[in-house]
Amino acid sequence: MKTIKTAWLYHDIMDLYGDKGNMMVLKKRCEDRDIAFSLDTIGIGQSADLAEYDLVFLGGGADKEQMSLIPDLLFRKENIKKALSENTFFLLICGGYQLFGQYYEAADHTRIEGLGIYPYYTSTGESGSRCIGNIVLDGQLDDLKTKIIGFENHGGQTHGVDHPLGKVLAGAGNHFNAGFEGFYDGHVLGTYLHGPLLPKNPEVADFVIAKALSKKDPDFNWKSLKPLDDTWENRARKPLLKRLINEES
Amino acid sequence: MKALSIAAVQASRAILTRFGRGGSLPGEIGLKLDKNIFSKLKINAPVILVTGTNGKTSTANLITSMFEMAGYLTISNRKGDNLKAGIATALLGGANLGGKIKADAVVLEVDELNVRHVLPYLPVSALVVTNFFRDQLDRAREMEQLIESIESVLPAYTGTLILNGNDPNTVRLKAKAPNASVLYYGLEKNAYSKTETSEASEGKFCPNCGHRLGYEYYQYSHIGSFYCDGCGFSTPRLDTALYDIDLKTRTFWCNGLKYRDPYHGLYSMYNCAALLCTASCFHIEERFVREVLLHAPQPAGRNERFLINDIPVILNLIKNPTGANEVMKVIETDETPKNIVIVLNDHEQDGRDVSWIYDTFFEKVLGPNTGKIVAAGTRAADMALRIYYEGWQDELKIADSIEQAVEECLEKGRTLYVIATYTALLDSRNAILKEKQA
Repeated sequence: MKTIKTAWLYHDIMDLYGDKGNMMVLKKRCEDRDIAFSLDTIGIGQSADLAEYDLVFLGGGADKEQMSLIPDLLFRKENIKKALSENTFFLLICGGYQLFGQYYEAADHTRIEGLGIYPYYTSTGESGSRCIGNIVLDGQLDDLKTKIIGFENHGGQTHGVDHPLGKVLAGAGNHFNAGFEGFYDGHVLGTYLHGPLLPKNPEVADFVIAKALSKKDPDFNWKSLKPLDDTWENRARKPLLKRLINEES
Repeated sequence: MKALSIAAVQASRAILTRFGRGGSLPGEIGLKLDKNIFSKLKINAPVILVTGTNGKTSTANLITSMFEMAGYLTISNRKGDNLKAGIATALLGGANLGGKIKADAVVLEVDELNVRHVLPYLPVSALVVTNFFRDQLDRAREMEQLIESIESVLPAYTGTLILNGNDPNTVRLKAKAPNASVLYYGLEKNAYSKTETSEASEGKFCPNCGHRLGYEYYQYSHIGSFYCDGCGFSTPRLDTALYDIDLKTRTFWCNGLKYRDPYHGLYSMYNCAALLCTASCFHIEERFVREVLLHAPQPAGRNERFLINDIPVILNLIKNPTGANEVMKVIETDETPKNIVIVLNDHEQDGRDVSWIYDTFFEKVLGPNTGKIVAAGTRAADMALRIYYEGWQDELKIADSIEQAVEECLEKGRTLYVIATYTALLDSRNAILKEKQA
């Protein structure tokens, strides 16, 4: 039996906007295929070797709460680099995405140091403005092309992204009028998309599952997964694609 | 100018009322003519503002009824909205042309983000704060910014703060109001208190020093008995404390007397506690409080009950994870067979972001006594998907309309629970009433 060992970092702090729904989706889609899915939560001060995990998830939090975990996160920097080099896959939403860059600027203009793993950086929206609303991307994940639907709600304006997750079809993206959203480079999927991300994007969910499995089995890819019945997912996608990009199915 | 704006409001109010409309339009007109209209009113009566995320409507209504019962001529925005314009409409409706308000008490429910536009401009005697939770975050931004907007007008405030002593987010307000006096209300440890919680929780860090907060016990969500090891910030001594709480009989005790909660659930006991605390602040006789609790009307969409061909139908509003979780808990305690309609809209007032349904414990109502679930509303399919991912194996449907959903779920021998978001509430109510007449 295949297994996916998942670490959910700071689950008790970075859980804004229903992001826990992402874990619910991964678990069900694994179990429906007889893939064992285990989930460990890792809080501040808890020792863990992230390189032992197939998948690491980090969600978003409120500015003030997010600040409290920075020292702990920076302390894990070398371990995160080790995990990345050993092909642990990272799924990062909102605050988690920002923290893998150089820095982010909170709404009160405090500059918070990030892990600096990637060159991108995040400034704050002019006079408190935020990118808020439904969003659709033309996503590109390796050889998987899929429309990604979500809800963005971020003051942070992320610049300097060299590998975006997708082209924006409706909404703002990494910053106002960005044209592109998120980050994907084969090891890390970072995005501002809530909704949560995975329930309405089953192809992205399966892609993440395949990436996690490929740590132990390098030949495994998303096409290796047994297809599931995505009736309910597609029923939720259809009206939004119609509403947001006027797509007829 | 003053007389003109007040006259304009009164004229438009009279006309709109004749045509069956009230709302906040008269106040909007008044504010357009004179944006400082609040400061120009002469009020010689206690002014009580009620704000917070959940329970402010019920609490403001209870307090209004208490003053009325005690013989005070009371002005309230019970029938209007809780934004600046609705408040102006209520106040100006009770003013003469000189701007003098004819009332013995003024009770106003105020939207959290509007407190800063109202509090500094009225002679407020008491500010009642129920709690702060995540609520429609895409509109209100993060809760922290919302609390800070209230804190920004507290330094000059000289009235009384009537605060939920079990919510760190309301207790923190006192530190910003050095000139105000304070009364705390809350619930003592009871049979429903828990030492652990998995509910969406705001009170993780001390608002004073940022240290992680500890809890002796939780009542629900982050409401409970908290303490900070870093700076000593903690649940204060409660001036009004409810004890011996029994949710089955909906009874509680306070100061040696037993009362019955007109509503359901632990969260609604906090509204009763706020009422009792306000009564003691204004020295209202106990018998009037008792009278109010005995005869409080069921507000629309708060466990509102209907009977259609012997089938009980219960309508509930849900607007954020915490409120929704409390509704789920009440439904969970009903062990009779049931069907469930969930109406999820994503208009501005519902919150355009529907992510919050994943912070809500819908699994609580998916027990063996639940027959079928039908989703409706502008995001019906998102709701169905949420239920599907909870592992629900039985009948699940998406209806084209609320009427269809209600019709589909009316079944002899099963209670029908209708759960609706803000903008779907009225339509859901109408759909139920339509079935009643059919």
